[in-house]
Amino acid sequence: MRWVDLKDSMKSFWNDFRREKSGMFGLLLLILLLFTALSAPFITSPDIPHKWKTYWLENPQNAPPAWINYFSSTKKAPHVIYTYHDLHITESKDQFGNTVYSFEIPYKYQYDEPVDDIVIFKLLSNASSPMDAPHISIALKRPVQNGYSRVVPLLIDEPVSSNATIQLSTNTQVRKNVINWLKQNKVNIEPTLEFQLLATMDTMRYLFSQIQPNIQDMMNKPKPLHGTYILMVNVTSKPGISVNFNNIEIVFKGRTYGIMGTDDRGRDIWIGLIWGSRVSLAIGIAVALLSVLIGIFYGVTSAYLGGWKDEFLQRINEFVASIPTLPILILLGVYFGGHIMLWQLVLLLVAFGWVGISKVARSMALQIKEQTYIEAARALGAGTGRIVFKHMVPQLLPYAFAQIALGVPGAILSEASLSFLGLGDPSQITWGQMLNEAQRAGAAVNGYWWEVIPPGLAITLVGLTFVLIGVALDKVLNPRLRRI
Amino acid sequence: MGFGRYLAYRLFNAALILFFVVLLTSILFVKLADVTLQSQIQETVQAEWNAYAQHHPGSNVNQSEFIKKRMEYWINYYGLNKPYRTRVWQTTIKTLKFDFGQTRQTIFGTRDASEIIKIALPRTILLFTTAQIIVILIGILLGVKSAQKPGSTVDRTISVLAMITASLPMWWFGMVMILIFAFKLSWFPVNSFPDPTLTGLAHIKDVMWRMVLPVITIVTVLFGGWAWTTRNIMIGTMQEDFIMAARAKGVPERKVIYGHALRAAAPPIVTMTIFGLLGSLGGAIITEAVFNWPGMGRLYWIALQQNETTLIVGLTYIFTLLYLTAMILADLAYAFLDPRVKVGASASM
Repeated sequence: MRWVDLKDSMKSFWNDFRREKSGMFGLLLLILLLFTALSAPFITSPDIPHKWKTYWLENPQNAPPAWINYFSSTKKAPHVIYTYHDLHITESKDQFGNTVYSFEIPYKYQYDEPVDDIVIFKLLSNASSPMDAPHISIALKRPVQNGYSRVVPLLIDEPVSSNATIQLSTNTQVRKNVINWLKQNKVNIEPTLEFQLLATMDTMRYLFSQIQPNIQDMMNKPKPLHGTYILMVNVTSKPGISVNFNNIEIVFKGRTYGIMGTDDRGRDIWIGLIWGSRVSLAIGIAVALLSVLIGIFYGVTSAYLGGWKDEFLQRINEFVASIPTLPILILLGVYFGGHIMLWQLVLLLVAFGWVGISKVARSMALQIKEQTYIEAARALGAGTGRIVFKHMVPQLLPYAFAQIALGVPGAILSEASLSFLGLGDPSQITWGQMLNEAQRAGAAVNGYWWEVIPPGLAITLVGLTFVLIGVALDKVLNPRLRRI
Repeated sequence: MGFGRYLAYRLFNAALILFFVVLLTSILFVKLADVTLQSQIQETVQAEWNAYAQHHPGSNVNQSEFIKKRMEYWINYYGLNKPYRTRVWQTTIKTLKFDFGQTRQTIFGTRDASEIIKIALPRTILLFTTAQIIVILIGILLGVKSAQKPGSTVDRTISVLAMITASLPMWWFGMVMILIFAFKLSWFPVNSFPDPTLTGLAHIKDVMWRMVLPVITIVTVLFGGWAWTTRNIMIGTMQEDFIMAARAKGVPERKVIYGHALRAAAPPIVTMTIFGLLGSLGGAIITEAVFNWPGMGRLYWIALQQNETTLIVGLTYIFTLLYLTAMILADLAYAFLDPRVKVGASASM
């Protein structure tokens, strides 16, 4: 084939393909997907695969996406992170020569449900013994209610070791202080209930709601107190001990989070979705490409050889075709120690995937074989390899392209299914695994729709992309179907 | 080749495949069982020694000797002293005879793996056969409808539906259905496991009620593909000369479609039906797990989570058997309905 001919045929193919609206839509989706997959490390961060299996402490657990506030009557507080740059830290000396660092964070609260927790991360100091540890005091200044603006002491001069995580919501000392503050404000708390509150109190709910005379009302019918709150933090360190605020993170853990919410380990589902596209595309394309290539060569060779060799090859083909794939894959998954690595999965799916294509390729090759130019080539002394590769396989390439595209969704579904069963590659982030973890954590039963719907939609979207392209290619390249 | 010989050939072929699958399974799992059995034996013997030492204080039995003797006993008991080849062969024969051995934990009230599968299989058949019949009816009806007017709104809608559902994971769709109809709207029970306290008519009603959601899921995911395939087969048939002739003769259009075209298109549709009826059992493994429907798929899920290898081997065997049966039946039905295939098959022999 000359270069000019190739260019011409490509051009005419493109002209035909362009007219298939669904095919063009599929192509657009494919470009978008490829872009997402390739840019995943840049739009998120490159250490995500490493971090994925850990708990993301800084995020809330099972939080719905932030935009649900637009559709819901109760507004939930979003996730806010304050870093060094947001803080204005002032430094002073007290009468004992200690250094006092202090800063304030104003927080505007206009929601119906407060944050889940306030957490301080990465407060570093060079104190080597617990004796030298700097002390922290935290208080929350509430907006005006009934003419008063009240300051709630949360922590008073608590020693804090370097790099400790301070979670205010579940801290017993904080709970004690909040209960005392409630009592001072004449809130009636029975002793048995006080004991129970110390263990299970949802501290933030009391801090961010109006004071009512009866604790039962505050528990069951909290009224949010809107306005500007100020979190006041003081860190006191002995002479010679220095405190480093450069990496500090103060996280107001939201009841909602980001674009797609979080799962039960606090992982950002949006990030998982982006990274999952890599595995999906890689598996789908690799499996479809390899199985179609093998299938076509196998089928064409079988048809060309003919006779007992053809018979033999066809018996092997039938044998592989008669094995039910998913049960065998499950079986092998168990044998491989409960997990099938990505490359193993590709090989296995190819091993079962080539048979259907080879059957069709053989029947097509049987027709091509009878053409006179094959006869001519043989008469001129061309070998089997040359005839198969040079004269027969190129005839089947159009069919191959369509089949590659149409084969991708099946491979993606297989990977997702195995991952869903817990047999997937644990070192990868895949949508099937996300769904598996959602199912294990009872997401569907608990109504955490943001953990269930997006990964499945993503699988469907990738599948649909290739089906659209495949059907369009089939129509353009396969003359048999043109009339339909 | 006559029909009898063709049948014999297909049966022989299927038996051979079944044998090889079981052999492969045995090769894999005898090796896997070795590892688990060895550690199990070590634990048992250690426990035995501890019990012995407690009950016979001051006994002069040597510990290492005691352990060695008991180890030998258990290794002999489990047949681990026999060569690998012999054990693979024994496992193969046992599996072929439906003797899958015992599970470690009780499932559905028994530890006999064959017994457990016997309980689960009818439940799976009940769910998927019901769903599949509905799918076939809707699929063929819609397929014929859209083949009548290619390019119409009905036709295009069906094409789009078929494309979307082909890429939809059925089990994920099931999760979404649970989320919407069981959780948010509470129209249907979240859990498909039947209420064990009910009997008689109440039990049947309970089971049917729990089947609604899984059946809707399966039908929704599968009917598009069926309609699409039927449509393509029908369009091919509608362009044949005999349809043209029937129309020219003045045969009413209804009769042309249902009497002539559909009958001519029957062989591939019947094949698909048989495959659908028997073959779909394998394809919906995970959907059952999602709905907690106590059938074969749910068993796979349990077996995977509890690492019950005997059950996995048994399930795989039954699935292979069902799958091969479907293949043979479909092949035979095709050959029976369309004599050209039989000729083609014998010509290539």
